Parts: sequence; C-alpha cells; structure tokens
Amino acid sequence: MVDQVATLPSSREFNPWPVGIFICLLVLACLFLAPTIGVMLSSIKTTREIAEGGLWDIPTRLFLGNFVEVLANPAVHRYFLNTFLVTVPATAASIALGVLAGYVFSKLPFWGSNLLFLVLISGMFFPPQVILIPLFQFFNSLGLIDTLWPIIFIHTALGIPICTLLMRNFFATVPNSLREAAILEGANEFQVLTRVALPLSLPALAVLATLQFTWIWNDFLWPLIFTQSDEKRTIMVGIVNLKGQYSVAWGVQGALSLVASLPTLIVFLFFQRYFIKGMTMGAVKG
Amino acid sequence: MANLILRNVSKAFGTTDVIKSVNLEVSHGEFVVFVGPSGCGKSTLLRLITGLEEVTDGQIIIEDRDVTYLKPSKREVAMVFQSYALFPHLTVAENIGFGLKLSKVPKDEISARVKEVASVLRVENLLARKPRQLSGGQRQRVAIGRSIIRQPKVFLFDEPLSNLDAALRVVMRIEITRLHQNLGATMIYVTHDQTEAMTLADRIVVLNEGRIEQVGSPLKLYENPINRFVAGFIGSPAMNFIKGTIDTDDNKMIARLGPYTMEINKPNLNQGMEIEVGIRPEHIAIVSPEEGILTAEVEIIEKLGVESMLYLKTEASEELLTVRTDPKHTIGTGDRLGLKLPESELHFFDQKGDLV
Amino acid sequence: MEKSAWIWRVVFLAAPVAVFSILVLWPLFSSFFYSFTNWNGFNPNYKFVGFDNYAKIWTDRLFLNAIINTFVWMVAAILLPTLLGLGFALLIDSNVPGGKVFKSIFYLPICLSAVVVGQIWTWIYQPDWGLLNTLINFFLAEPLNYPWLAKPDTSLGSVIIAWSWQQTGLSMVIYLAGLTSISEELLEVCEIEGTSTWQKIRLVLVPLLTPATVVVIALSVINSLKGFDILYIMTGGGPFHSSDTLAMHMYNESFKKYMMGYGSAISVVLFLLALVIIGIYFRELRRLDEIYG
Repeated sequence: MVDQVATLPSSREFNPWPVGIFICLLVLACLFLAPTIGVMLSSIKTTREIAEGGLWDIPTRLFLGNFVEVLANPAVHRYFLNTFLVTVPATAASIALGVLAGYVFSKLPFWGSNLLFLVLISGMFFPPQVILIPLFQFFNSLGLIDTLWPIIFIHTALGIPICTLLMRNFFATVPNSLREAAILEGANEFQVLTRVALPLSLPALAVLATLQFTWIWNDFLWPLIFTQSDEKRTIMVGIVNLKGQYSVAWGVQGALSLVASLPTLIVFLFFQRYFIKGMTMGAVKG
Repeated sequence: MANLILRNVSKAFGTTDVIKSVNLEVSHGEFVVFVGPSGCGKSTLLRLITGLEEVTDGQIIIEDRDVTYLKPSKREVAMVFQSYALFPHLTVAENIGFGLKLSKVPKDEISARVKEVASVLRVENLLARKPRQLSGGQRQRVAIGRSIIRQPKVFLFDEPLSNLDAALRVVMRIEITRLHQNLGATMIYVTHDQTEAMTLADRIVVLNEGRIEQVGSPLKLYENPINRFVAGFIGSPAMNFIKGTIDTDDNKMIARLGPYTMEINKPNLNQGMEIEVGIRPEHIAIVSPEEGILTAEVEIIEKLGVESMLYLKTEASEELLTVRTDPKHTIGTGDRLGLKLPESELHFFDQKGDLV
Repeated sequence: MEKSAWIWRVVFLAAPVAVFSILVLWPLFSSFFYSFTNWNGFNPNYKFVGFDNYAKIWTDRLFLNAIINTFVWMVAAILLPTLLGLGFALLIDSNVPGGKVFKSIFYLPICLSAVVVGQIWTWIYQPDWGLLNTLINFFLAEPLNYPWLAKPDTSLGSVIIAWSWQQTGLSMVIYLAGLTSISEELLEVCEIEGTSTWQKIRLVLVPLLTPATVVVIALSVINSLKGFDILYIMTGGGPFHSSDTLAMHMYNESFKKYMMGYGSAISVVLFLLALVIIGIYFRELRRLDEIYG
C-alpha cells in the first residue's frame, strides 16, 4: 500500500528571484556610486579633458598633477592641521563627558534623572541654527571669534547628547552585580567606572569615536560662522574657499574633495561596523 | 491508512548529520509525540515535515502525495510555534484569518469561519485585541486557531507549551487533547517534557542523536523500553540503574551488584557478562535489613503528599537509588532498610545499552 | 552610602550638565530673548521691539517662500530616503550574494561631508559636461545643456535629490536593523501559510517595520530641518530664493543682513517646528511600543 502512493515525484523548483535581485542591486549600486566615481575620475584628469566633455570617459592615463597641486598648497596643510586641532579634542571631550553622564543615568539613577536625561538627549534633535545667534554673541563677547576655541567647545557640547545616550545604553548592559561586587571590595564610583565599566565598554567608545570624528571633521556650519581669516579655517570651509582660486580647475577641486574626505573615508573603511552600529543605535533608541 | 510517511529521511547541516535515516508511518487521526533531549533532532524532523528545511536524503509523503521538495505552503500542514508567532500588528481575528486572506477567500466567509474557530477555542471575546494584550495561554489558543482554520492534513506543534507556566501547561494540555478528539486530525507534537509526551500521545517517538530509539504507546515505552536510553528517558522520577556482572553459583545464575548478589533466571544471559539492571522506583520493595537483598541507608526524603520519594545510599552503585513509597510510612533520614528487587520488574541491558 | 552616592552624582554630572547648559540650553532661551529685540549683532544698544519681529514674519514674502520650501523638503524627506531605504533594505535582506558590499556602497555617502556631497552633485548638474546632461544628451538629438541648479524651477528639487542620495544609506541601515529584529518564526509562518513575495512585503514586513519607519521618517524630517550646508554649497538658496529654506533664510537675515533680532525670531519658529515633530515622534514611539514591545 505504501509503495503505491509514491506518485507525483516533485522536483526542486528553480527560483529566479535571487538572480533578479542581484541584477537590480547591481544597477542601483552603479547609479549610487556614479557621483563618487565622477569625482575620482575628475581628480586624475586635466581641466582641458573635463571641459571638452571627457569627464566620464575611461581615463587613458593617470594624471597626478591635481593631487600635486593640492598637496603642495600650504593653505591645505593649514586647514588639515586646524581640523585636527578641532576634531581630536572635541571628540575626546564629548566622549569623556558622555561617559560621566551616561554612568550616572545608568548606574546611579535618582529622582528626576530620567527627565534630566531627556533634556540632555533632546539636544540631538534641534537644528543648530536655533542656538547660532546667542552662541555668536557669547563667543564674540569673550573675544574668541576667529579662533578655534568656539568650534571645539560647541562640538563638545553638541556631542554630549549622543555620547550620553550611547554610554547609558552600553553601561546598562554591564551587570549591576559587578558594580556592587567592586564596591564591596572597597572601590569608589570613580574606580568602578574606570576599572570595571569602561573596560567592558570599549566597543561603545569605538562607536562614539568614529561617529564624533566623522561629524566634527565634516562640519561646515560652525567653522563658517566662527572663523574669518584663512589662518583659522578648517578643511571643509577651506575647500569652499579654494573653489574661488581654482574656479574652473575642476580636476584640482575633485582632488581637493578626495583629500579632504580621506580621513573620514579611512575611518569608514576600517570602522564601518562601529559607525553603522552607532548610527542605528543613536537613531533607534533616540 | 497512513497519513504521513517518512522514508529514510536524513538531514545534514554541512558535515553534521542531524537526522539519520528516519523511517516512520503515522496513521490518520493519530497523535504522535516526538520526544528526546535537546539537540536530538526532534525539532529538525518537524521542520523537515513542514518544509521549512529541505531533506538531504529520503522521502516525505503526506496523504499519498510525495511532498519531499514541495514548498511548505503546498504541503497542507499547519504549525504552532513555541513563541506563538502571532503578528503583533494584526488583531486576533486577523491573525486567525491570515491564511484565508492570503488565498483571497471572501471577507464574509473569513469572518464566519474565524468566529467558528474562535468559539471552538473560546477566544470569541478577544477577537478585536492585539496579541500584546493577551496572556500566554490566550496567545497559544489564537496560534492554534490560525492553524486549524485552514483544515490542514497534518498539525505540527513545536514545543507549544514550554513558554507557559506550570499550572497553565496542565490546562492547555487538556485543551489540546480535547481539540484532538474533536477534530480527529493527525497531530505531530514535539516536546522535551516526557510528562507531556506521556499524557498527550497515542504513540511516542523517542529520538536521540538523530535516530529513532523506540516508537510505541506511552505505556509500552514505560513498561518495555527496548534500550537503556529509552528506559532512562521515559518516566519521572527516572528508572534506577545498577551496574553488575552475571555469574553462576551452585549451578544457579546470579547477578553480582556490587557486594550484593541476587538469584536470577534469564536464559539469554551468559556468565561473565557485564550488565546494567534497571528498575523503576515504584517497583523496589522495602523490607527489613535482614530480609533484603540490598541494604540501604536513607539519605533524603521528599514528601510529595500523595507519595514520598526516598533517596537511598547503597553499596551497589555510586548513585542514590530512588524509591517511591506510601507517604504514611514512618521511615526517617538515616534509617537502615532492606530492599528487594522483584525479578519480573527488572530490565537487563548489555554493555551497548540494548535490552537483553 | 546614599550620601556618598549623591557626591558622585554631583561630581560626575557637573561637567556635562554645565557645558550643555551654557552652550546649548542657555543659547536656546537667549534666542527667545533676542527675537524680541532689534539687535544687529554688534551694537550693544539694542532695543526691545516686542512682537515686531514675529509680526514681520507674516509679511515677509521670503519667509513664506522659505517655509513652503521647507515643507516641500520635508515631504520629499519622508518619501525619498524612506522609500529608497526600505527598498534597498528589502533587496539586501533577501540573502543576495555580496549583500555586505552593496550595503557599504549605499551607506558610503553618509560619511562624506555635505560640502563634498554638494560639490559632487554640483558637477552632476553641471550644464555642459555634468553626468545628468550627458545621460540626457545621449537620448536627444540636440544637446540640452540644462542648468539644473541655476533655474528656479529645478534648483530646490535638484538639491533635495542630492541630499536624499546621502540620507538613503542611513534609512537603509535602520530598516536593515529592523528586518533582523523580526522573529524568524513569523517569517516561517509566512512560508507555511504561503504568502507571495508581494503579500509578504505588504501584509507582513512593512507593517512589522512600522517602528523603523517612524524612526526613519522622524530622522529624515529632523535632518531636513537641519539641512543647510549642502544648500549653501549648491545654490546658496538661489536663484531668486527658489531654494531658500528656513535655516538658509535665517542665516541670510542674521549673518548677511545682520538682522539678528529677526533671525532669532525665525530660529524660534524653526525650534517650535522641531519641537512639534519631536513631540509627535515620541508619542508614536510610545504607542508603537504597546503593540510591538
């Protein structure tokens, strides 16, 4: 009886979906990459080649004159130095402050701490233009216009929301019993933070460092408002300024954009995982 | 007539064989329970039947139809998941009617059939709620509702009660039995809980390391396990096992269990054989220390009300022996007792673990 | 114990709260203050002008223009990055080979500066040799050479597309995170019940992604309010204010015309707009939490 039933031997069906999806993605990816590729192409072509409509042609030779021009320009060196002088301290300071606040909100909550936390992280959502004028007035009265100080301070302050949020969420995953055990051993809160909580939160620090570095490096608004002389410009304001100097030198502009993006591109390539994690965590939990 | 046939069904993930050539026939309307320790392959076997996993080798037949390479939806099976798997954005009614909506059944008919199913499962007054507003037991009823509305050929349950608390589990167990009686449908049920297996099943399939160890009715498995694994797995508290050797003394066959000996009469045992003797806790008889074959000291007493469990230290084995007794006895911790092991209740297993 | 805990709370919170209060909270309230003055940015002898700045808003043709453009931008922000991000996420989530590479490609623009993105896209729209016109000319007999950014009809739309190009990667990763958080068993139910691909997307995936959608939309809308750099680079709000947004208009009034009092009033409007959006956002999050947990 059982032997009779094995009729209709079905075979594996061919599934056309993965192939279609792959081709679809490939086309989209090419479209998405086109703008970036355009800049790369421009940077290795001469101005004449571009002006004659040859930007999108496959390059026949590697023209490095644009990069030579950019890298030999002392103004570019200054912009880079200034940007580092802003980015590194502001990144470090905002993370340090976020660690302190995040620790309290996660491990030492108190009556009203949730409200204070909400106030702090709401800073993430508001357009920076809202505080532009008072800050301009504030640093003007301190005589700090056309220095890097306002930019460092402001980025430190504007980084507090995201740093506090991520650190609080990460510290929440550190078991309370670890803190209690350390305190029973005689540690104080600062020792708990530096010896127990922080070593367990290194991934969070990596996430924040990549996020903050990228944002501050790429920022345009604050240096635009607070710097005036060429000596104090950061790279993003600088390349906009240099556009005038190289007004039709498209290739130099392309090389300039690439060089200016290089640090963040490197961060993206090596720390992509942390970057994406930070972006989604900040967004979803926020 | 067979409703579901598994023929030499095998499954490998990479180089790991998870299911090793399983053969099974399930008749119409039968309630079959797959039971085994975690990692034995019982859930994988269920997923092979649904089609969520594809077999590496073998054949699956449902109602005379070879479904081995058919998509899950073409197999006319329904599955109830451990986590209920209800759609959080749909109401109870929409969850139950989900499959009908997919196959474009008219709205009136869907709502009529949903009401019918809901009344069978007594969730009529919950139809407008979302899953998050339901208790665990209610969610499980809704999940069952979604599976019965399509009148599938085979119902599959993947540990459906393990997320419920103990009291609710007993209630739902009875519900499922009642449902099975009402629908008369073929049901396959996976669990790691052998009490669930014993109470629900027409037939139990004991799985271990991807193989079927034994198939049979609950009582048959309890009384006549064919190997050491099934003997140890079925029954709670578990069967006692004592290692020993077969010997002869004055032309009589004896079993040496540690320092103790007992006369036995088993023609298929040979002298010098290393064996393991199994006996269920309720079959060990307590006598005075002089009368007993074994002497034991009471280490722990668990009073369960309807019965008491004694955990006894003997020289026969490292493990404590479990004995099930009447709760009205006056035995105390530290007492010395004699034990008798009635030969008719003994199970002898050879070194490979097979019943001799 | 409790007393020492309070000492630590104060010690730990002092610096972050002080910095945040001085550089974020206090300026926020100061904006309200300045919005009632006629301060020009330099002269300390400014006067209180009451609600004059707010009254001016309703007669300022450029303000109305800016607010319409801002709403256009917000609607586009809801549609473009959200739908594209959802589409990309669904495609990538289907276990396609090279999924990780595709993910990186779509995500790459987010780590570029708005300045660089602005420049890249300025070139795409370049009338003579830009990619867009090159592509269009490919199909036309006569070269079009349309100056996309220099025409009032297309300037805003062109900038929004460039901005969406950058924003889509962010939406995509949020949707991808949402997709991975959908329980495997729910997808298996779909297989057993026999959903078609389209039914699965429409009836199951998109509804289950509602929390992610709320986050994506909120983020896109909030980022559209912040959108300034890319506008500044690509069009500067022009031509003829055709791509002015609130943020751009505020910058022009404050730092080009030095009407800081009026600029503050615009920034207060911007703030209130953001406040409403954030309010809706948090309310939706709480409502969804009751359904999706």
